[in-house]
Parts: sequence; structure tokens; C-alpha cells
Amino acid sequence: MLLAVLIANSEGNILVERFNGVPGEERLHWRSFLVKLGADNLKGVKNEELLVACHKYVFTPCFPLTLTTLFSPCVIKYAKLLIIFLYCFNLVSEAMFVVTSAIKDVCGKPPTERLFLDKYGRICLCLDEIVWKGLLENTDKDRIKRLIRLKPPTEF
Amino acid sequence: MAQFVKKDDDRDEEAEYSPFLGIEKGAVLQEARVFNDPQLDSRRCSQVITKLLYLLNQGETFTKVEATEVFFAVTKLFQSKDIGLRRMVYLMIKELSPSSDEVIIVTSSLMKDMNSKTDVYRANAIRVLCRITDGTLLTQIERYLKQAIVDKNPVVASAALVSGIHLLQTNPEIVKRWSNEVQEAVQSRAALVQFHALALLHQIRQNDRLAVSKLVTSLTRGTVRSPLAQCLLIRYTSQVIRESSMNNQSGERPFYDFLEGCLRHKAEMVIFEAARAITELNGVTSRELTPAITVLQLFLSSSKPVLRFAAVRTLNKVAMTHPMAVTNCNIDMESLISDQNRSIATLAITTLLKTGNESGVDRLMKQITNFMSDIADEFKIVVVDAIRSLCLKFPLKYRTLMNFLSNILREEGGFEYKKAIVDSIVILIRDIPDAKESGLLHLCEFIEDCEFTYLSTQILHFLGVEGPKTSDPSKYIRYIYNRVILENATVRASAVSTLAKFGAMVDSLKPRIFVLLRRCLYDNDDEVRDRATLYLNTLGGDGSVIETDKDVKEFLFGSLDIPLVNLETSLKNYEPTEEPFDISSVPKEVKSQPLAEKKAAGKKSTALGAPPASLTSAVDTYEKLLSSIPEFSTFGQLFKSSAPVELTEAETEYAVNVVKHIFDRHVVFQYNCTNTIPEQLLENVVVVVDASEAEEFAELATKPLKALPYDTPGQTFVAFEKPEGVPAVGRFSNVLKFIVKEVDPSTGEAEDDGVEDEYQLEDSEIVAADYMLKVRVSNFRNAWESLGPDFERVDEYGLGPRESLSEAVNAVINLLGMQPCEGTEVVAANSRSHACLLSGVYIGNVKVLVRLSFGVDSAKEVAMKLAVRSEDESVSDAIHEIVAN
Repeated sequence: MLLAVLIANSEGNILVERFNGVPGEERLHWRSFLVKLGADNLKGVKNEELLVACHKYVFTPCFPLTLTTLFSPCVIKYAKLLIIFLYCFNLVSEAMFVVTSAIKDVCGKPPTERLFLDKYGRICLCLDEIVWKGLLENTDKDRIKRLIRLKPPTEF
Repeated sequence: MAQFVKKDDDRDEEAEYSPFLGIEKGAVLQEARVFNDPQLDSRRCSQVITKLLYLLNQGETFTKVEATEVFFAVTKLFQSKDIGLRRMVYLMIKELSPSSDEVIIVTSSLMKDMNSKTDVYRANAIRVLCRITDGTLLTQIERYLKQAIVDKNPVVASAALVSGIHLLQTNPEIVKRWSNEVQEAVQSRAALVQFHALALLHQIRQNDRLAVSKLVTSLTRGTVRSPLAQCLLIRYTSQVIRESSMNNQSGERPFYDFLEGCLRHKAEMVIFEAARAITELNGVTSRELTPAITVLQLFLSSSKPVLRFAAVRTLNKVAMTHPMAVTNCNIDMESLISDQNRSIATLAITTLLKTGNESGVDRLMKQITNFMSDIADEFKIVVVDAIRSLCLKFPLKYRTLMNFLSNILREEGGFEYKKAIVDSIVILIRDIPDAKESGLLHLCEFIEDCEFTYLSTQILHFLGVEGPKTSDPSKYIRYIYNRVILENATVRASAVSTLAKFGAMVDSLKPRIFVLLRRCLYDNDDEVRDRATLYLNTLGGDGSVIETDKDVKEFLFGSLDIPLVNLETSLKNYEPTEEPFDISSVPKEVKSQPLAEKKAAGKKSTALGAPPASLTSAVDTYEKLLSSIPEFSTFGQLFKSSAPVELTEAETEYAVNVVKHIFDRHVVFQYNCTNTIPEQLLENVVVVVDASEAEEFAELATKPLKALPYDTPGQTFVAFEKPEGVPAVGRFSNVLKFIVKEVDPSTGEAEDDGVEDEYQLEDSEIVAADYMLKVRVSNFRNAWESLGPDFERVDEYGLGPRESLSEAVNAVINLLGMQPCEGTEVVAANSRSHACLLSGVYIGNVKVLVRLSFGVDSAKEVAMKLAVRSEDESVSDAIHEIVAN
């Protein structure tokens, strides 16, 4: 289950947020926590480096979500863009790669905030095709590309 | 979208400019009116929807009216034939999630799309409909959804299946009717359809254990194409294994071959999932583990951080239960210490600390030293904890590990980190006598430059207790007195107390300590001056080399036997009069803590803080308490006090537990009673003990409890005489007797007349283990050799059929009540033999060491060889008698 996908710029402003299975009242906590976590971990990090479970700050009990420790956040950094995932392990790491590669694909080159905002609508459609309420729906890059243009997949 | 794209490629400007700069909700809602234009401009409409999505993603909310207006406007866009716009419309409707009375507007359009010839329209319409639908609408479209599940187009089938997974939460009875179609979809050739179908099928059947088992059995035989589905199948399989192993104790583990086969799958995610499933099997054997460990070892050197992390995290968990199984990966793990990802590096180090052998400690420590400088405090604390456990495991390596701890203590770090290190050093000093002197010096050096008042005062206190007992106490004085010169008032006051303790314990240092204490009389802080004056007076004015009074030592080292809360209350209530405050008037009963507080207190375990202090102080308090009772004051030195044993069930009217105090010729039962009924006052509370099943014990005295008000614990005692030096055992039945008086809840006053009543308690027992103190030895082999073979007694015993070897080992440890050494109380899973080392002090202060060798045969018959060495022949025999009986 992909619990959250947050995409923020380096100042910590959220550009896209998708939560699933996180109660409404907890989202604000998670949101600020994840963004801070992303920003804190990015000092001196190379572009596109994948920071798996890189919680410099160990989860503190300020979040009422009972299963916090089960989840590991993951941060991916582009020039001025952070993509943060909150997820339970394994199956969703797949979703993570799909999301990042789809974003890269839509932007055409390594994403920046500007490119991202320019393609905002299309990125929303990609996320809609990949994850629906936390569940992985589509994984194939080309298929997603076609689906957001309402073109049938080629494979059948 | 085109208007957002900037032709100019000036990078700086590009970074500053956002296409959504200055976006306002009101303006965008105005713009949304273009949706109503008779001549729709698709591109413009798409842009407005993008802006609306952006606003929603920024956390902006629409009022009910605004949302309704936007929704109605968006539905107009179904008129457009533009494909891109249609896709945006689907998304927008989902984001707006219209209320049930509005949904009707859009259902007919969506149902039309659902039956459209264009497959992707169908897929999207299904998803939107299922998102906004309620039960009644769902029954109308159920037929189409069932068809969609088995549709030849995988996009349509997946859309229906994923919708089904979500609908199962809200309309389970409808979705459950789709079982047949879903089962057909599980056989689909399309990978994702198979994945979604399997997930849905499992959710439909998840409460039916047999059905899940059948599903797993059939699928593990067939071929599941999709790696994602294969991962799910592995998860369901391990669930089935977990549940079946509860019923099936013997024979081969079901489905293990399937899991093992998955380790050879071509997709990494399947391999990892299978490896993790194997490592998490209940009671997994080394043989079962080996193939999983091998693939995880390969992942350790993968170029993908996710794989490295996943592998090292799993191996870290395995190392907790099967350290030997992971040792093969040690070389790969060592290379991960320098991994860029600090999580991976920390996991690698803590795993290595668990799996490493004694000879590799030095090399490992060298590598860790480089690593420590560039990780965060939280990670460092994990490493410090791991090093402490390692040191307790290999006490001979204390020099290297203590040096490491002292080095990191000197480096920069926050309070929690420093506290973890100091706690570890204190524990090592306590458990490894050889490490004491060097450890104390490290702590002394640390307080020379310590920015944390709390840590400084705790260390000074610890120095005061341990320092005087070392071979050369004078070397610590300089460090302590430096605190008096350089530190803040709190630390200065602590240092004064510590100096006084040295003065009291080491007579030769007394004159010099006096000189130092006199200097403190001119301190500018009241507390420091007061303490100095107090200690100068108590230690005996002129500071000559004389032996310090026992009372003074008692005053300095004894624990305050009054609860601080009670003292505080009494001091607050004290009104300044001619009569001085009398400390003996402070009640000694501890108010029972609320349960939550107790739990919280129980979790904190620090070396400097409560537990060790409370352990020693518990014995001290008991000793003081017993000696203050005239009837028991002649019993001599208290040998052992047991932990409290509950004699009542939780949440009964009266809570009673018993503490057994063992003396050379006596045994005292201390019954701690609590009255949990607010409307009752109990008086003349006694426990009537029937010792007919404890022939060697003769009742000597009883000390009743005068009154037991609500929620204020009190104690009553019963003393028995027993033959000296004989480890007499027996069973005692207990009845609580008292006079109960009604209490008026409004006034809190009790009625004058009471009624006699009694309350049956559980039996208590004196067992052989009560005559044994758990005392750790730092090096068992040395201790064993030094005791010599003169009084060694060896014999063999058959323990009969046992549940497991581990259970048999624990039973013998509990029977003897001795301290397991070098972690030998842990029995490796499925091993057929085990050696266990125990140490203790037997009543009469006789040191005892025990070597146990266990063996188990296929019928679970356990045989044991018991070798005892002690300082007294009769004690060695007594240990054998305990086991023989």
C-alpha cells in the first residue's frame, strides 16, 4: 500500500499530495514531517539519488498513526524537486519507480519545478493511472503514456 | 497547456516563473464558466481543469456551493469529443467526489461511456462510476462490471477489478457475488489483470481459512506470470504456513519447496519476497534458511540501494535469532559500512556486531570508528547499544570496547547520545569488575568537559559510590574538586557530596578532603555552602585520620527510605513553629501509582537512573524496614528478598502480594496489601498462614496492620523459624483476615462498628531457588578454574520427555534460581544439545558455579549432566539434591 506520494519543491511547498489510508487529521502532521524529512536529508545529495528509508529523524510518537514504524519514507531529489513516498515495503517500491520514471518521462528531461508545473495536468493524469487509492494500477511506462491520452495499450 | 510553455530558455527566469504564480480560487472559479460555452474550447477547458486540480492539491477546499457549481459545469464537457479533455473530465469528477444527490446528473453519461466501443472510455467510466457510486446504483451496473472483469482488454478488466477491491470495503455483499468472474481473471494472460484479480480474490475469501488455503494450493502448482502477483502469492502462502503450523507440529513444512523455488525467479522482487518469507517462518531451521541467506547475500552487493537496504534489513532481523546463519555474509556486510546510504551502513554495523566473533571485534571497531563521525545521533545510539551488548557477550574484550566508548564520548553529540554512552559505560563497570577503574577514569575525563548538568551530577553520584572502593581513590579527587571550581551551582553541590563520600570511606584521605570542603564554605551558592557545612559536621570536626562512624556512613550512603512525594507533602504542610520538623513523622507508605504511570516508568531503563538504584535500594529498604520491627531485629543479616509474588488476581477487591525475606534461621513473609474499595476501611489486617505442608517451619511472630484505608498500601508480616543452614522448602496457604468498616464517601469518615471478614489468598511457596542469589561473574572460565575441582560434584539426570530443549533449560535455570552467564540461557532453535553456565551465591554466602550439558533425542527425552563447583562440599551436594528432588 502506497500511503502517500508528496511532491514538493525545495522550499517545502507541496505541489502534489496523494494520501491513502492516512486519516484526514493526521495528514497535516505527515505532510510537514515528510517535507522536512526530505529537505533535511538532501544536503549534499547528488541529483536523482534514491534515499531509501533515510530517516535521519526517527519517528516520534507525535503521530497517532499506530503503525508508524512499519512505514519507511523514501525521497528522490531532482534539481529543485523532491518526490517523497511513504510506503510499506516491497510491492510499493515498484510503484515508486513507476511514479518517478513517469514524471521524468512527461517532463522529457530531469524534472525541475518549472517543468513539473508546466506539465502539471499530465502528471496528475499519470498519478491517476499508476496509483488509485494507494493501490498499484498500472506499471508499464508506455502503457501509461498511451492511457493518459486515452489511447488503448498496444500489447493486446 | 501551450500558454504555459515558455519559449525563452533563460534558466534563471525559468526558475523564478511559475505558471501558477498568483493563482486565486475566485478567479479560477470564474474561468470555469468557459465550460458552459456553447462553442467549447477544449484546450482552454483543459487548462482551467489543471488549475482546479492544482488548487485542490494545494489543500484548497471548495464550499458546497462552489463544488456543486464546478461539478455541474464539468458535466457539460461530456459534449466535447476531445479525447484529452475527456480524460481530464474523468479525473476532475473523481477529485470533486460529488454528493449522492448530484451523482445522478453524470451517471447516464458515464454509463454510456461504460458501454462505449472505445475501450479506454469504458475503463475510465468504470473507475469514475465506482468511485462516486452508492449501493443502489451499483446493483444497476453490476452486470456490466461482471462482464468487464472478464473483458479481453486488460485495461478494462483491471479497472473493474481494482474498483472491486475498493468497493469491497463499502459493499462487500455485492462484490462477493463476482467470485467466479474474478477466479477466471486470475488465469488471465495479462500480468496486471492477474495481479489485481488475485488481490481481489484473496480479499473476498480472507475470512475463510480453508478457501485461502485452497487458493494457495492451486496457484502454487500452476504458473503465475506476473511478478507482482507472485509476490502476493508468496505473502498468502506464508500466511497459510503460519496458520497450518499451529495445528501441524510434525513432518515437513508445507509449501517450503514453493518458497524455495521462488528464490530462483527472474524478478528481484519475487526473490526478495520469498527470501523474506523464509526468514520469517516460525521456528525456521538453519537448513531452511541457507538458500534465502544466499540470495540476500547477493543483493548486498547490488547497485540498487533499495535492494541493498531490503537485504541488510532482513539479515539484521535474522541475526537477532540466528546469528550463526548470517556470518557467511559478514564480508559483504563489512563493505556496506562505507555505503553512502546511512541507513544501510547502520544496519550493516549492528548486524556485524551481533554476528561477529570474539577475534573479529578489534577489526570491526576500527571500521566503526571511521563511520561514526558522519552519521546522525539517532543512528549512533543504535550502535552504542549494540556495542554494549557485544561487550557483555565478550567481557574479555572490554578494553577495546571501553576505549571506543570513551573516544566517542569525547566527540560532539547531543544529550541523548551522550547519555546512551554514559549509561553503557556504567553498565559495563557494574557487570565487568575489571573494567571498573578504566571506566571511572573515562567518566572523570568526560565531566571535565561536559555541557550537560544532568549527566555531570549523575556521574558525580556514581563516582561517590564506586570511587572510594577502588585501589587508589585519591586519583579521582582532582576531577571532583575541579567541578567545585569550574561548574554551575548544581554540579558544585553534587561534587561536594561526592567529596564527602570519599572522606567518609577513605580514612587516609579525610584530612585532605576537609581542606577542600572548608574551601566550599565560601561558595556563593546556599546549597553548596550548606552541604559543605553539613558534611564537615557529620564527618567529625577536626579532620584527623579516624574511622568514620557507622551512622555517618549510613547517612551518606543510605538511601532516603521515605518516598520523596510524601516528604514534599509533609514539608508543604509543615507550619513554622517552635517545634522543628520531624522527619520520622513523614509516612513511609508509597501511594500506589496509576497504572499508566507504572507502565511508563517500567519502560525507561537507564543505567544511571532508576533500575540499578532501585534494585539495591529495594534490598536496602527491605533491610531497614525489617530491622525497624522489634520482633525481627534479632534475625541478623538479610540474605535475600524475593520479587513480589501476586496472591490475588488483577482487579479484585483487595490486592495482595508477598515478598519472601530469607535469613539464616528465619523466613519473613511480607504481605503488601491494597484496598481497592473506596467505601471500605479495613482494620487489624493479618494474614493467617497454615504451614501444615511446610513441616520444617515454625511460626514465630505476626505483625498486623492497624488500618488499611482505600488506595493506601500497607504491610503485614509473618515470621517463621527454620533450621539453620538447611534449605527448607514448603507450601503455605494464606487467608487475609480483617475488620471491615463502611466509609461514607461524602465525608470520608468510617463508621464505628465493623464486621469481621476474611478473604482467601493464593498459596505461597518457599523453594530451593529462594536460597540462591543471582550473582554474575565476568569470566566464567576463570571463575571455574579458580574454584578448583576439590568440591566438584558431577552427576547425570534424565529429565524425561519435554516440550523442547529450550523449555528444559529454562526449567532447570528457574529451579536453581541462578544467574545464566555469557548468554548461555538462549538455546539455538532445533539444536540437539546445549551447554549452559550458571553462577550464584548460596545461603551462607557460598559461591557456586554450575555447568549444565543437555542432550535431547528424537522422542524429546532430555538428559542432563550437572557439574557443580563451590567453596563448600555440602553446598555442591545440596545443588544436586535440589535437582534430584
